Amino acid sequence: MKKLRVLLVDDEIMIREGFKRLFDWEAHECEVVGEAADGMEALARMDALKPDIVIMDINIPIMNGLKVIQLGRIKHPEMAFVIVSGYDDFSYCREALRLQITDYILKPVNYEEFGACIDNLKISLFERRITKEPEEQEERTITLLTRYLQEHMAEELSLSVLAEQFYLNPQYISQLFKNEIGVGFLTYLTNIRMEKAKKLLLSKSYSIAEVAEQSGYGDYRVFTKVFKKTEGITPSQYRRDFLDGGER
Amino acid sequence: MLRMEIALFFVLLFVAIVYFSAGRKNTLLHRTFSFLLVATLVHLVFDGATIYTVNHLETVPVLLNDILHRIFIGTMILIVYLFYQYIAILVEEETGKPRKLDAAARIFLAVAELGALLLPVHYAVTPSGNYSDGIHASVCYITTAFYLFLCVWLFLRNWKQIDPKKKFAIGAALLIEVCVSLLQALNPTWLISGMGLTLMTMSFYLTLENPDILRAELTEQKISMLYLKSQVNPHFLYNTLDTIRIQAQLNGDKKVADLLMRLVDFFRLSVKVNRQMVALDDELELLEAYMDLMCYRYPELVCHYDIDPDLGGVLVPNFILQPLVENSLLHGMKNKGYRGEVRISAKKTADGHMEIQIMDTGSGFAEGKKEAIEQMLLNYAKQAPKLEGNSIGLLNVQKRVKLLCGREFGLWYTENIEGGLTAHLLLPVEEEENEKIARAAGRR
Repeated sequence: MKKLRVLLVDDEIMIREGFKRLFDWEAHECEVVGEAADGMEALARMDALKPDIVIMDINIPIMNGLKVIQLGRIKHPEMAFVIVSGYDDFSYCREALRLQITDYILKPVNYEEFGACIDNLKISLFERRITKEPEEQEERTITLLTRYLQEHMAEELSLSVLAEQFYLNPQYISQLFKNEIGVGFLTYLTNIRMEKAKKLLLSKSYSIAEVAEQSGYGDYRVFTKVFKKTEGITPSQYRRDFLDGGER
Repeated sequence: MLRMEIALFFVLLFVAIVYFSAGRKNTLLHRTFSFLLVATLVHLVFDGATIYTVNHLETVPVLLNDILHRIFIGTMILIVYLFYQYIAILVEEETGKPRKLDAAARIFLAVAELGALLLPVHYAVTPSGNYSDGIHASVCYITTAFYLFLCVWLFLRNWKQIDPKKKFAIGAALLIEVCVSLLQALNPTWLISGMGLTLMTMSFYLTLENPDILRAELTEQKISMLYLKSQVNPHFLYNTLDTIRIQAQLNGDKKVADLLMRLVDFFRLSVKVNRQMVALDDELELLEAYMDLMCYRYPELVCHYDIDPDLGGVLVPNFILQPLVENSLLHGMKNKGYRGEVRISAKKTADGHMEIQIMDTGSGFAEGKKEAIEQMLLNYAKQAPKLEGNSIGLLNVQKRVKLLCGREFGLWYTENIEGGLTAHLLLPVEEEENEKIARAAGRR
């Protein structure tokens, strides 16, 4: 897998420095290729550098981050964005999701936990590749494997289950995930389960236990724990914030 | 008619007592009303006195009768002047335009008072009662007409800019005074001028000078000051702290960076006060951020948690644990040099409720403090809402628990055998709705 190119956008030099030097980009197979301090500069850099990932502050001069993303998307539909914001406000978050942002994190940024965010990005970049070039990707092993995982999410899944199903060596499958997507098998599995759960949580017709079950967790307590760890809030908080957030 | 004056005097005296015993902001408007109130009371005394003396011309010496009449008319002029001043100040407050007619009004006042003092008094004797008339009495009619005219003019000119509530107050007072003055002028023997002035003063008291409204204004101002003091723009705070944290980490000081992270966490969580009830987990998160920082500041302070994992989703009133722990630290551990431990536990009770305990190894109750705290927590409802003070935190927790969870729940303290105190907080086990559904579904 080639290194992912990252553009940092924040009006505060210290925040950019922190990102650049305190997060281990190397270990996550990324490199910071550029920086921008305002909305216009960000757009110019996006055009010039064509980064894979843009780390974007919302509250920046000249043009706010959401607007930059909106405009950037038109020109560069393949780019992934991470919103980093000090506004602990879900209305921003909802708008961000409408813009199909891959992730949203809150300041203060914990650099140890930022890796999880990059993993999420890699997965969604991979998924975008599959949907964009269906013919090319159709017969590839990784596509078959991930499709199987998507379709059997509610069942018990593991490397050995996949190995049995596809007559492959578990070691080989694990390596395949690392090479093709850039993340481990378990990270990938948890990610797609959480994505599914988040979608289901937005509809009020499912209870938390049903959401847990459909996304592959027999025990809703385990589900709640994993959800809290990856999303920072409990499933019910997530549902409440999204559904009633506008009334606050 | 004397009976009416006596009644009016006592009604107004009562009003004055209530008014002067209540707190209010010291503004020109309120000061003017205070003068108006006192002047009207004095006036009513002389009103009553003259009603008696003017109808007993044969027995009362003329000189005494004259003096009483001069004071009676003199105070009446003063009252009407104050009445005008009050309305003028009100209008000025509403419109922001300065009072231009003050000088004219004061000159007129001086001239009229001179007239009331020096002009000869004459008494009209009629079968239906006696009254004073002639040039002396006409002074007060002219004065009243003059000031009322000024008031009406001010009022109508600034009609659009005056707030409806104040419009009503001024309008009512003016209407009463104009009607009563006209009736008095047409029927001199009715002797109702005192009634008009009293009603006019009362109408202001009931609308704009009501002690409840004034007190509310005062409290509101205090609260907003407290609010301003405590609320620096939180985003400024997080952002600045975060910049400092990153700089510290760039300098290789991971410890400082971690502490700043906890401080930011604490601020972020404590600013989220817009919800009444939060999950116990959320409440503990805030508490942990707070305790981490305190334990760092005082390295010999240790904190243990013993939380039943099943209770994490239970809803508790927002911001109740941190004040209790802070209380333990500031009133218990502080006296021991912050050496010792705080143990925070949450357990289910036998009858299905939840008990949170905050146990400390601090100095325990100070002399006489035990009864005071127990009494305060027991009679929480009767405690006046204080805006500051030591025990405000505890009282606040108790009040909110009782209000939001029910009277059977609440806070109490016990003394530990080995020293220190334990705060007990009994709360209902009410889970977030979604998790309740989940639990029910899980049981199927």
